[in-house]
Amino acid sequence: MSNPFIRLEEVSKSFGLLTVVEGLNLEIGKGEFISLLGPSGSGKTTILMMLAGFENPTSGAIWAGGKRIDSLPPHRRNMGVVFQNYALFPHMTVSENVAFPLKMRGLPRALIKERVEKALDMVQLGSLAERRPSQLSGGQQQRVALARALIFEPEVVLMDEPLGALDKQLREQMQLDIRDLHRRLELTIVFVTHDQSEALTMSDRIAIFNRGKIEQIGKPSDIYDHPSTQFVAEFIGETNLVRGCVQTIEGGTARVQLPGGQVVFVAAATDLRPNGSVCLSIRPERIKVGRREAAGNNITAAIFDVVYHGDHLRLLARSDGQGLVVKTDRSQPTLSIGEEVQLSFLPSDCWVVRP
Amino acid sequence: MNVLRFSKLVFGSATVFFLIAPLIAILPLAFTDSVFLNYPIPGYSTRWFEELFTAGVWQRSIINSLIIGCGTTVLATVLGTVGALGLRDRQLSLALATIKTIFLLPMVVPAVVLGVGMQLMFARYGLTNTYLGVIIAHTVVAVPFVVVNVLAVLQGIDRRLEQAAASLGAAPVTVLKQVTLPLALPGIVSGAVFAFATSLDEVVLTLFVAGPNQRTLARQMFSTIRENISPAIAAAAFVFIVGTVLIAVVLNFSRGTKQANG
Amino acid sequence: MNAPRLSKQVISLVLVAPLLLFLVVFFAFPLVTMMKSAVSDPVAARALPATARAVAGWDRVSPPTEAMKTAFVADIRQINDDQLFGDLVRRLNSAKSGFRTLMTKTRAAASNAAGTIDLIALDKRWADPSYWQAVSVAASSSITDRNLLAAVDLQRDASGAITALAADASANKTIMLRTFVMALTVTVACVLIGLPFAMIAASLDGWKRQLLLGAVLLPLWTSLLVRTAAWFILLQDTGLINSALMQLGLTSGPVPLIFNRTGVIIAMTHVLLPFMVLPIFSVLIGIPKNLMPAAASLGAHPVRAFWAVLLPLSLRGVVSGSLLVFMSALGYYITPALIGGAKDQMISSVIAYYATGAANWGMAGALGLVLLSATLILYAVYLRLSSEREARA
Repeated sequence: MSNPFIRLEEVSKSFGLLTVVEGLNLEIGKGEFISLLGPSGSGKTTILMMLAGFENPTSGAIWAGGKRIDSLPPHRRNMGVVFQNYALFPHMTVSENVAFPLKMRGLPRALIKERVEKALDMVQLGSLAERRPSQLSGGQQQRVALARALIFEPEVVLMDEPLGALDKQLREQMQLDIRDLHRRLELTIVFVTHDQSEALTMSDRIAIFNRGKIEQIGKPSDIYDHPSTQFVAEFIGETNLVRGCVQTIEGGTARVQLPGGQVVFVAAATDLRPNGSVCLSIRPERIKVGRREAAGNNITAAIFDVVYHGDHLRLLARSDGQGLVVKTDRSQPTLSIGEEVQLSFLPSDCWVVRP
Repeated sequence: MNVLRFSKLVFGSATVFFLIAPLIAILPLAFTDSVFLNYPIPGYSTRWFEELFTAGVWQRSIINSLIIGCGTTVLATVLGTVGALGLRDRQLSLALATIKTIFLLPMVVPAVVLGVGMQLMFARYGLTNTYLGVIIAHTVVAVPFVVVNVLAVLQGIDRRLEQAAASLGAAPVTVLKQVTLPLALPGIVSGAVFAFATSLDEVVLTLFVAGPNQRTLARQMFSTIRENISPAIAAAAFVFIVGTVLIAVVLNFSRGTKQANG
Repeated sequence: MNAPRLSKQVISLVLVAPLLLFLVVFFAFPLVTMMKSAVSDPVAARALPATARAVAGWDRVSPPTEAMKTAFVADIRQINDDQLFGDLVRRLNSAKSGFRTLMTKTRAAASNAAGTIDLIALDKRWADPSYWQAVSVAASSSITDRNLLAAVDLQRDASGAITALAADASANKTIMLRTFVMALTVTVACVLIGLPFAMIAASLDGWKRQLLLGAVLLPLWTSLLVRTAAWFILLQDTGLINSALMQLGLTSGPVPLIFNRTGVIIAMTHVLLPFMVLPIFSVLIGIPKNLMPAAASLGAHPVRAFWAVLLPLSLRGVVSGSLLVFMSALGYYITPALIGGAKDQMISSVIAYYATGAANWGMAGALGLVLLSATLILYAVYLRLSSEREARA
């Protein structure tokens, strides 16, 4: 990134003997929506806590807007934080909650009143200004938390699983609302989540965390289509991992032999060497049932279960001792369990992943 | 099954009776017009309440109890609340865990043992027979109640509320004033009530440390029972019991409204 | 780079500092003072400095030497302070009776005549080495284990060996035993009432449970003095209980309930019962509601299920509650003092007597030390048990 707004440089964090974040480097651009995605304990929330100033890095440096901020206390960082449980002050009304950051900044009372009204209107809560947080629904509380974190026009908004406590329908609505706010207000947002579909829907970029390190970082489509490691391939979406042995490489296409002797061709296999073992990721929706010469790869498999999912069917198959999942539409001719079928896919749908 | 239910009912009622009846039985005696504390009550009057609030020794002891109780409440609440703020982490270091145990120890040490030690030490520094001495002695035994109450509330406060306040621009002292203390208020109030009640009820340390000028209501009741029992005791007990019920109702009510507000 | 974590710890320490300081000065220091008074014995060493030097070489068996007698008379002449002399006499008399008259006589003789005085001619007790032993022991050291030994009815004999006190000389063991038995009786009474009561309360819900808990909490919040006064009034010979018994014709005269053991046990059980009920109750409500039906579904008869499931689980609450009740009962003062007779006084009353009545701070301190140690040991066990439970939970 040519001119990153936030930069983390070799940041590590340990609690006692436990290292939660290890030698992390990350750059975030102005106006970017970046998601930190990973299983619990992968270090993503710790990074957010360090950005907000609630935790201090054990080593390394954090920069924001050209200033080094890692030793700055939270109240001098000018970052809006939205917490998973919203962290609304229970002893204050909605408007007092939203006014809090402006009061801390010593704004005149009339101005505070005006801006609070505007902010509450923005999140459609103007009528609930004098309520207590406990009298609001989860979604309303979430919007108050958003208004409170945005009203002082922070340079960065940090969100820690902000939608985790909402039900599915409300969560999807809020995803759209937050995306809309991001675009309209040109916010820089760091969004922590363990929900991969949420990250795919909302982000400009996703950083996948595993064991305190970034496993892969990139655009949602890059990460989905070209996962660099087995972990990423499995964490984002669903995939088939197929092991094999590289036989030859010709013009960027590798010939890979599966354990049972069948052969598949793999495109874009630049850094492979012959006679090396390899792990391939093939997305279930890329595999078609039935022989297609044009596809390039055709293998034989035995169906052992067919699962109905409403909008699609999932076939569980076995080929050369390796399990395969195939996602297919319902127009498929009836398949019965135990039947032998041909499965086809393109060489470009086989993606080599590091273990 | 019916036998079981019946015996549960009988045992439960009998125990409730055993616990409550003595406190209720003493109440009507406060209104006797006789000089004896006996049933049946020959006639009713408020003469013992008049005695309680006008007779020199009683009046003096009530005033002393209020002075000492208020002093103890202020001292114990301030020391206990500040101390509890230092102990609120769930994972305490060994040093802090030890300090927490020390803070609670005055609840455990037998009052007479503490009283002997206080009398010996206070005498050396001229603290015996002073209001300050009695207030200090009462604060020692009242402060654990404040620590326990405030700590319970503090540990229930979500740390993220304070983090949120800091991220919104509040400096640590502002966070304390605007978020932590308002949220801890119920605990501080009940700690203060406990501290006052402890002081009001304290006899043993008062016996050792106070002089005749600091004779408290409890101390006065103690010697009245011991030396010449009179229905003024029942009147004093009446005031105590009614006061207790009132405080319990008020605390319960404030907790109830707190819950309704979140 | 660990600075922020360190500073958090520092802030905590700064916050706890005022209260810690307060408790060290006004809580720990008094207790230390009391313990010191149990072993300190400075009077004779201060009053008899020359004697202390003179007895240094004495074998404590042979007749007193002339040097000792001369030094002793010189020391007596030095004492101008009547208070100090009084303390000295009391100190010596407590070691061996007879010193009171002996010392008064000796001081009068020493101040009336100058020069040497024939002590043995003055009083033939001065020829008895046992009096000199008492003087020697008292003068040669300003700390003593006398009080601690006396607290458990022991003493040092002439040769310095520890022996039991004569049965009629002291009653401390009796009092400790009595304290123990009374505390135990109260604890057992509390278990017998508290365990079923807590079980009933836990098995109910709604207003019934509230009523039962309220019945426990109301006395807990009521002044101890008020509760004791209530029992005093109820238990008197002309009190409500006795008049009810006589009205019902169950007894012709009043049953003695006050100033005896029965009254103290009843009142103390009432006062301490909440400390038994609450820990058991809190354990019981932690037990899943469906445990008993589960046991029943596995074929256990309700009585079996009770013995095999509910009782063992509630045992931990019983242990905590028993420790709390026993610990509190050991140090009880007010209830036995007001409701008990002379034969129902517990160790606290004896300590209070030594401190305020007899001004014998040494004995008060020594008995206080015994009570304090017993209480703290019980408290440590209690803490251990409850932290184990927390760890398990």
